Amino acid sequence: MKPLFLIVLVLFAVWSGWRVFRVDSMVRASFSLLLSFIAVGVIAVILSAPYIGIATIFMMAVEMMVMAIFMVMFMMNPAGLNPMMMVHQHRFAIGAGLLGFAGLAAAVLTSDLPLAPVPPGKAVVADLGHELLGRSMLIFETAGVTLLATMVGAVILSARSGRFGAADEGSRPPGLAPGGEPAGRRPDESGGHTHHHGGHE
Amino acid sequence: MLLLFIAVLVTLCAGTWLAAWLDHLVPARSSGRSAGPLAPFRAAAATLVRPRIETEAPDRMIWRLAPGWYLALAAVGLSVVPFTSAGALLDSPVGIVIWGSCEALTIVTVFLHGWAPNAPFPLIGAYRYAAIGLPIMLPSMFVLIAAALPAESLSLLVVVESQSEVWNIVRQPLGLPLFLLVGLTLTLRGPFDFADSADIAGGTSAEDSGPGRALWQVARLAMLVSFSAVAATVFLAGPLGPVLPGPIWLWMKTAFVMALAVSLSHAVARTTPSRMLTVIWVVLLPLSFLHLLVAGVLAL
Repeated sequence: MKPLFLIVLVLFAVWSGWRVFRVDSMVRASFSLLLSFIAVGVIAVILSAPYIGIATIFMMAVEMMVMAIFMVMFMMNPAGLNPMMMVHQHRFAIGAGLLGFAGLAAAVLTSDLPLAPVPPGKAVVADLGHELLGRSMLIFETAGVTLLATMVGAVILSARSGRFGAADEGSRPPGLAPGGEPAGRRPDESGGHTHHHGGHE
Repeated sequence: MLLLFIAVLVTLCAGTWLAAWLDHLVPARSSGRSAGPLAPFRAAAATLVRPRIETEAPDRMIWRLAPGWYLALAAVGLSVVPFTSAGALLDSPVGIVIWGSCEALTIVTVFLHGWAPNAPFPLIGAYRYAAIGLPIMLPSMFVLIAAALPAESLSLLVVVESQSEVWNIVRQPLGLPLFLLVGLTLTLRGPFDFADSADIAGGTSAEDSGPGRALWQVARLAMLVSFSAVAATVFLAGPLGPVLPGPIWLWMKTAFVMALAVSLSHAVARTTPSRMLTVIWVVLLPLSFLHLLVAGVLAL
């Protein structure tokens, strides 16, 4: 029963991962990836890693929500529901994909995987906590603080408000054709004054 | 096992009805009108007979499935709650994290429910909700971790056992008020209803009608039941209590939290999303961090 369930979950994870590149919207792609991660999380739970499995589902739900918002925000497709092509740089992508697959497959085949089943009464969650806050604490804390600094930096860089005034002040939209006129409304050179004088004449 | 399954099912159904009745009762009390216990069924029947609305180029699959996902998340959330001191239907060493995942997936579900119809008001509701729902996850996690500290475990059963001497609401008085705000967000209620509120014509449900709308409303109420049961377990010692059997105590405490949440949602006004974001990041987040700090020092 357990192996069959595992196989179904693995197939579902691969299928939903494949869907990420076949659907035509950022939102659909993000949440297809979430489905894949949920399947992986459940696999971890079955393999006696309850904390890692459930935490994967929790973290990925939040993360994919953030990712969907950011991708829609930075894409030319504002609502995320209009169809768009999700893949680009085909040749490079195929090469990188094959290389990645070969590398991961080699890692799986050459690493020494444990065969003994986890004893039922083992406190796996407590063991994980001791590992994270013991031997591996330096690695995790370094990674955590680096990520936090990156996030703070990204927020500061993308914020409109800043030390030297609004970030979009005096900015011009890119041209419709290469090197052409900027798109959108042209800023009025002399502000509201022209209109004011026009009224007097 | 079968008994626990039936208990979860009965709690979900009866709790949903009670929540719906309370929702009719609280505004009726202030306006002087009466609302009988059958009022929710009349409202449900009226919703069910309405025809379905079709929008232009929606994502039909997600639109139809979202209410079901919401209901499923409520059911999973309730099944980690221990009904007796013997165990829960989903007895996991990481019960609190399972509930946390249900919270996070609820935000995704509400967003998708607003995104799928491909219509302006639902989409505005979806984005507003995501902006409020994501930061509210942080106080939620801090509050739940604080409750797990004295128990030294993420299992809800152990969290209940740790409250046999003194309840968490006494030990950590800020916990329940902060968690109630999380509950209002999860069930799209009152001051935290930025998804389905009247100011954007019903938000993510603006294009819902007929059975789909009815199921979505039922799922919202079911999520209120699950949230109340989790709050009762984490802060009010769940099934622990003298004389009466465990499930009765859990039901009474759940009903109490539910009444609290419903009256809060009808009594407090909603503010603009931007102002609410400031409140969450500047007030609620530091407050919950302080709460975790105090709980941690006390637990040492």
